[in-house]
Amino acid sequence: MARIELKNVGKNWVGATAVDRIDLSIEDGAFIAVLGPSGCGKTTTLLMLAGIYNPTTGDIAFDGARVNDVEARDRNVGIVFQSYALYPSMTVLENIMFPLRFKKVERAEAERRAREIAGLVRIDALLERRPSQLSGGQQQRVALARALVKRPHLLLLDEPLSNLDASLRLSMRTEIRRIQRELGVTTILVTHDQIEATTMADRIVVMNAGRVEQEGTAKDLYEQPKTLFVASFIGSPPINLFDGHAEDGAIKVHEATVPLNGSARGNVVLGLRPESIRVDSTGTPARIIAVEPMGREVLYSADCSLGRVHFLEAGAEARHREGDNVALAFSPADALLFDKSDGQRLDAGIAA
Amino acid sequence: MLVDTLGAQAPAAARTDWHALARGARVKRFAGQSALLAFLLIVSVPIILPYFWMVVISFTARSGGVSTDVLWTSCAVIVPAVLIYSAVHLLAPSPRVRVIAALILLVAVGALLAALVGGQLHVANYRFLWRTNIIEEIRSKATAGGQFPSVWVAFRNSLALALTQTLLILTVASLAGYYISRFAFRGREAFLQGLLVLHAFPAMTLIIPIFLILHWVGLLDTIPGVILVLTTIELPFYVFVMKGFFDAVPWDIEMSAMTDGASRRQAFRLVVLPQVRVGLIAIAVFAFIRAWEEYIFVRTMLIENKNWVMSLYLFWVSDDIMGVDYGIVAAVSVFYVLPSLLLYVFCQKYLTQMTIGGIRG
Repeated sequence: MARIELKNVGKNWVGATAVDRIDLSIEDGAFIAVLGPSGCGKTTTLLMLAGIYNPTTGDIAFDGARVNDVEARDRNVGIVFQSYALYPSMTVLENIMFPLRFKKVERAEAERRAREIAGLVRIDALLERRPSQLSGGQQQRVALARALVKRPHLLLLDEPLSNLDASLRLSMRTEIRRIQRELGVTTILVTHDQIEATTMADRIVVMNAGRVEQEGTAKDLYEQPKTLFVASFIGSPPINLFDGHAEDGAIKVHEATVPLNGSARGNVVLGLRPESIRVDSTGTPARIIAVEPMGREVLYSADCSLGRVHFLEAGAEARHREGDNVALAFSPADALLFDKSDGQRLDAGIAA
Repeated sequence: MLVDTLGAQAPAAARTDWHALARGARVKRFAGQSALLAFLLIVSVPIILPYFWMVVISFTARSGGVSTDVLWTSCAVIVPAVLIYSAVHLLAPSPRVRVIAALILLVAVGALLAALVGGQLHVANYRFLWRTNIIEEIRSKATAGGQFPSVWVAFRNSLALALTQTLLILTVASLAGYYISRFAFRGREAFLQGLLVLHAFPAMTLIIPIFLILHWVGLLDTIPGVILVLTTIELPFYVFVMKGFFDAVPWDIEMSAMTDGASRRQAFRLVVLPQVRVGLIAIAVFAFIRAWEEYIFVRTMLIENKNWVMSLYLFWVSDDIMGVDYGIVAAVSVFYVLPSLLLYVFCQKYLTQMTIGGIRG
């Protein structure tokens, strides 16, 4: 178990920057998620922590000690790869015992530990099989056991659930969380799936284009996004974004003019979460153009003076039909304003 | 309204004659399979017949000439049996029936052959295996190369040549293939293209310079000299094939091994090598067979009869007694071809994998 720090860490490939000077610190025993679209540098960051890649700039520290020059084999980091990366020529037990080969652990002791960890991830019955004879979920557990058997300082999970089907993904989320709590191992989960990040991790780091956009709890990121990217990446169905122009205390969006609260000038983006828009007879007229029942709620698409909006209504039954004319309103407090040029959140809000 | 339209089309769907369609498909599949089987039988005849003839001659020919009686009699027995089995194979889909038919036919063919040609078989042509001076016996004079050596000297030389070459190729091709597959280095692309170009050039064009070089370094007429030359010429191809196999091994398992505490070398040995086992077997078999059948280079660079390999032994046997005793030439040929044939039969499934690995490269 260790406290992990990244200071100004960057990685450049020939002609490309994968990770652009990020700072991050992770408490001992914490579970954090690195969330971002593919190609945002999250896997590169992970591999730098593991010692597979050397950072081009900056320092990585475990428990305050710089480990840049420590080889991967000596870092005592466990990784679960997206592909699981089990060794196909070995049995499950041999796979789990593999890391202990290099640790001067006696064979009997190694086997005892392997069986113990296999029990923890519930694959005791599969130890004599080969990876090719296992289902995806079982392979995943083997990979987890292999990463944990060496009692790592740091556990890295690289998109561990993306090859599983939906119901298995749900149970593995809880399962990984349970095991992490039980062992108290510092864990970093890399994922592009916000549900995974929000359900499993204590804290989420959103990355984009090699930089950290924002870090915080799921609630922070959802309610107080610092940038346009975070606002648009987090939330499902996604936030409604409208391009507008702010001047003289108001924003012109499409055919509508919205009063500003605070000062802003130039091109801005107005963001409205689908659930903060509601049908209200005092609102602006809109015409429903699509109805998508989603189980416990219904997603509508409608055209109004702001443009095309998506909004949610609770309840399994759709109350409006395609072609209906309704009136829509939103509470000004829920509106988010961003500067169009740099994507940063603006202090200004919408006046009531 | 949508339902109405569907309803109107229902009678048309009912009129589709599924039985006729199924019958048509069955007839088509049967015709296709028969055509394929016939084609394979026909193209295999020119390949199998000479080998079969060679085996027949080696067991039947007596000094002075060769008769085709036994060959045609055997063919008259075997060909109908093959045709009957083909018919059974096409008409009976059950594996049980097929196996039973095959067994009955085998017994019938064996009995017929024993009755018709069994009396003419003998092993006298294989006496070269235990007698060294057969050539002098037949021609009553020594061969052009002096005293004719025992076949076992040639066999041992061939084995040494083929095994050493295989070992060298395995070692160098696996290490080089891995390096090219995994590491970026200056000139990698050019190196890869170079490998291909080298393989495209006929090595034969180099035979005179190679002869001279070997002469100058004092390796002419030695087995190690030939091994070095042949390994060098063959290597580019095998390096390329192995690169293809290593390319197919995911990086993840290597990274995983290294975070698990293995050094790069340990990761290579414990995790990557087992993944390319098929490739290693394939190139080993291929390299062995190629070395075993090599003729032109050994003919040029090995002179003294103590250095003869099997192909040279066969050449000198046929050179000395062709036209006098076909039986012995055929028997030596059978003995020569046997190791590569066995190896090929047992490792065939790995050899077919080699092209797959190669394509991935």
